[in-house]
Amino acid sequence: MRRGGRTRRAPFRTAPSDLKTLVTAVFAFYLFAGIVLLSGAATILSKNPVHSVLWLILAFFNAAGLFILLGAEFLAMLLVIVYVGAVAVLFLFVVMMLDIDFAALRAGFVKALPVGLLLAVVLVSELLLVAGGSVRVVAGEAAAPLDGFVGMTNTQALGSVLYTKYLFVFQASGIVLLTAMVGAIVLTHRQRAGTKRQDVGAQVARTPASSISNVKPVSGEGVSL
Amino acid sequence: MPEVASQYLPILLFIGVGIAFSLIFVGAPVLVSGLVGTAKPDAAKLAEYESGFPAFSDSRGQFDVRFYLVAILFIVFDLEAAFLFPWAISLHWTGQAGWWAMMEFLAELAIGLVYAWKIGALDWE
Repeated sequence: MRRGGRTRRAPFRTAPSDLKTLVTAVFAFYLFAGIVLLSGAATILSKNPVHSVLWLILAFFNAAGLFILLGAEFLAMLLVIVYVGAVAVLFLFVVMMLDIDFAALRAGFVKALPVGLLLAVVLVSELLLVAGGSVRVVAGEAAAPLDGFVGMTNTQALGSVLYTKYLFVFQASGIVLLTAMVGAIVLTHRQRAGTKRQDVGAQVARTPASSISNVKPVSGEGVSL
Repeated sequence: MPEVASQYLPILLFIGVGIAFSLIFVGAPVLVSGLVGTAKPDAAKLAEYESGFPAFSDSRGQFDVRFYLVAILFIVFDLEAAFLFPWAISLHWTGQAGWWAMMEFLAELAIGLVYAWKIGALDWE
């Protein structure tokens, strides 16, 4: 958020003297980032897995707010539509479908603690290795548009490379989606015996001649239709 | 803050006002009833009343796996729709190649849709 004088390109369209906008942006950033961190912590700390998913949804919403602060509108809306709208619902389904005794799961906490700590140490050291050494983000420079994308909005820039330069990755994602779809159908779909299904074709093909018949009922025996 | 973000400032303000009002509307009755109401908790007050019946089972029963299938199909076509937005506004730069890339992507998912339809995964029975 610091706007130093060392950037040559002007990354923001607003004038640097616009202090009120800057204060609002900084305030909004710390608000969103703080809620993301808190709800992320609540996600892994809450005892009820359904509550965890709800905290995760709050984290997604605030991450979307951070994207909007960066000017990446499309990514923000994608986060809300895809992650909040679909992925979180999927998580909820999975949590509710698996009939796991969560109290029994937590009982092994102390036993699994050494392995968990080891994993945490490895992950943190990897993060430090990556972020600590080589990556240095100069304030402002990260938000500046790259050279080929001047005059495009964020979403247009995204589209202009996604469907040309990254064509094969894009098509591969289509194949992955197709595989997920077919896989889910194969795993979960089955014909249930004894259920009555609606046959629209048979309904439409019915005529008065085929559906009305005269019967002469015999007393005491009923009719068979 | 980029110009784009400052256009969303009213929405942020609306969210703030909405949270404040909902806190007032939820908090004020709780506060008032807590201050002036009488509280005499009794186990009998939580029991089933007259023709009510005791709960058959835990409210957190298992879901039918069919709901999961619906959710997966929803995600797939949700993502398909999401990919259409940047494609639609960047056709000026991507041109013919971008057009056919999306057509191929749509065809891949159309195969999936035809499969799901044919096998009866879209029916609920």
